[in-house]
Amino acid sequence: MTDVKTLAYINMYAVLGSLENLCELDPKASALIADRKPISIGLEVKGGPSATITFKNGKCRMEQGIGECDIKLPFSSCEKFNGMIDGTVTPIPSKGFVHIKFLLDTFVKLTDMLSAYMRPTEEDLQDEEFFRISTCLLFYTISVAISQIGNHDEIGKFSADHIVDGDIKMSIKGGPASTVRAKNGHLITIKQAPEEPRAIMEFNSMKLAHDLFDGKVNAVAQIGEGTIAMHGMINMIDNLNRILDRVALYLA
Amino acid sequence: MANFKVNQYDKSRELFNRATKVIPSGVYGHLGPAEGNFIPVSAWPFFSEKAKGAYFWDVDGNKFIDYMCAYGPNILGYNDPDVDKAAMEQAKLGNCTTSPSYKMVELAELMVDTVKTADWAFFAKNGNDTTQLAIMAARNATHRKKIIFVNGFYHGVSAVVQKIDYPGVLPEDVANNLYVDWNDFDALEKLVAENEGEIAAFISTPYLHGNYFDNVTPADGYWQKVRKLCTEKGIVLIVDDVRCGFRLDLAGSDAYYGFEADLICFCKAIANGWNISCLCGKEFLKDAVSGMSYTGSYWMSAVPFAAAIANINKMKELNLPAVLKEKSVKLLDGLKEAGKNNGFDLVCSGEPALFYMRIANDNSMMLHQEWIAECVKRGIFFSSHHNHFMNYAISDADIKHTIEVADEAFKIVKKAHPEAF
Repeated sequence: MTDVKTLAYINMYAVLGSLENLCELDPKASALIADRKPISIGLEVKGGPSATITFKNGKCRMEQGIGECDIKLPFSSCEKFNGMIDGTVTPIPSKGFVHIKFLLDTFVKLTDMLSAYMRPTEEDLQDEEFFRISTCLLFYTISVAISQIGNHDEIGKFSADHIVDGDIKMSIKGGPASTVRAKNGHLITIKQAPEEPRAIMEFNSMKLAHDLFDGKVNAVAQIGEGTIAMHGMINMIDNLNRILDRVALYLA
Repeated sequence: MANFKVNQYDKSRELFNRATKVIPSGVYGHLGPAEGNFIPVSAWPFFSEKAKGAYFWDVDGNKFIDYMCAYGPNILGYNDPDVDKAAMEQAKLGNCTTSPSYKMVELAELMVDTVKTADWAFFAKNGNDTTQLAIMAARNATHRKKIIFVNGFYHGVSAVVQKIDYPGVLPEDVANNLYVDWNDFDALEKLVAENEGEIAAFISTPYLHGNYFDNVTPADGYWQKVRKLCTEKGIVLIVDDVRCGFRLDLAGSDAYYGFEADLICFCKAIANGWNISCLCGKEFLKDAVSGMSYTGSYWMSAVPFAAAIANINKMKELNLPAVLKEKSVKLLDGLKEAGKNNGFDLVCSGEPALFYMRIANDNSMMLHQEWIAECVKRGIFFSSHHNHFMNYAISDADIKHTIEVADEAFKIVKKAHPEAF
């Protein structure tokens, strides 16, 4: 029911892409990359996604494609890349051996922090700030994963094809917002609210959003409860929700 | 401004909270807040207390002029005395019995007399029972696998008529489904040519009455060309008349548009709310249906048969489709005028008796959703994104009141959005 290529795109842009948000949300993450020379890592997956992650002035930024980079990590297949995310494959750089310490130390610390937020223990979630950051990171990861599934997964593409052109706003009240932009059946996620959404889906609290992401509550039931509000082109949200159902399959 | 009473829904909410504990999603399907597009949910009632004629009352005592008609079944008015009398009399005689009541034969004869294309009638309970049967019968008769659907379709809930991305549907369930745009005969012809000898059926509603978009009636000559193509290629032509049936033409919506289907599916309005559906078909498909294993525990219950007979006879006496059209045109003219007077472009599409509405001032439908919600809060039961249904019990006074409430709702929305005008 899932395929490795789509998973590779999700792992690249949704999971590793949320390092950007981690460095914004958690001062400890930002501190790890604050007092050092800018450094960039290029990840290139044969038959799959590629991206360049740059760490500069305590911030992280991901760009699609391989540009100028200090460290280059090639992967011979989507399976190998997914293995790195799973922790079952150790990547070997083809460029940037002098920066290996950053890769093995700082980068690993950052990805470990990310994992802790993405797969939190119940105990960790008791901490209010941890809960907030965890929910925000899950939100951004899911937002980006929606577009990757809509563009690469065979069933997801069917759903994306049925989304009319325009911006969908996904948001948590008092929390993060993102845009899923549809054009000719292709989806792009932008990690900020759109100026003129054609459709809006808003979760009314961080707790509700977290429970939804955890699968503890059902979205359809919550619409009836009024804790998920929908406005605008509901058919856009309807199809987006079908993709959202598939996010759980990939990120489980 | 008139200042109509604004509804409160405390008891509905209380019941819904109870419902969510013991019923998946509280109220599932099209009558529920999610599929029913209750936007926002606070504007809609969840549960009814009683109904009569053109109205229903919710559990908080709010009265609604109901333009959804239980999504179609209510065509004469809730609790129509003639239909219900026939049903009650039959109930005293028997309902669900080991040998079916002779009423089944009487109703089948009435259907064959009434529906232009019908040589026989097969009864079940829901529209889905008939669309599923029609598809299986077409496959049985042609020994072919593929079915052509029109994009934007809804033909029920069985896996074969759902879509690949719906929960619980497997790619294998819909592997033999082909899709074509409505009114695009050239594309249909091309699709048929690409799948020569493999297509069992083409299934479609009489016109495109899907949700979220303006409804589209058939282009001139479209159905006649489709009929000819299906005949030439040995494709069974199925008309899903579950939603439109009896509101356009008592002889079937295919008759209304000047062609004959091979199979035609009825439900909703057939018995004014009593639970029954019916597949009618041409003689050459009768044996295909006879040979199938297809039945249900309550499909031959006599009470709905009796109700359907009374309902169909009364609809004939009233020449009901013409009456419904007249009422609908009066309503829509008034609503459009009220919209125009307040700066709203209210687009009404589809056939008048099943009118679909959309405010076209913005491209997000948010103004439309707000207007609908303000109407519902004041006792006019409209749907945000589904076609509506006219019924015989709607009076001129109801229409006048509806237009007055709609006018107030337009004014409220306009005041809330000065930037849009």
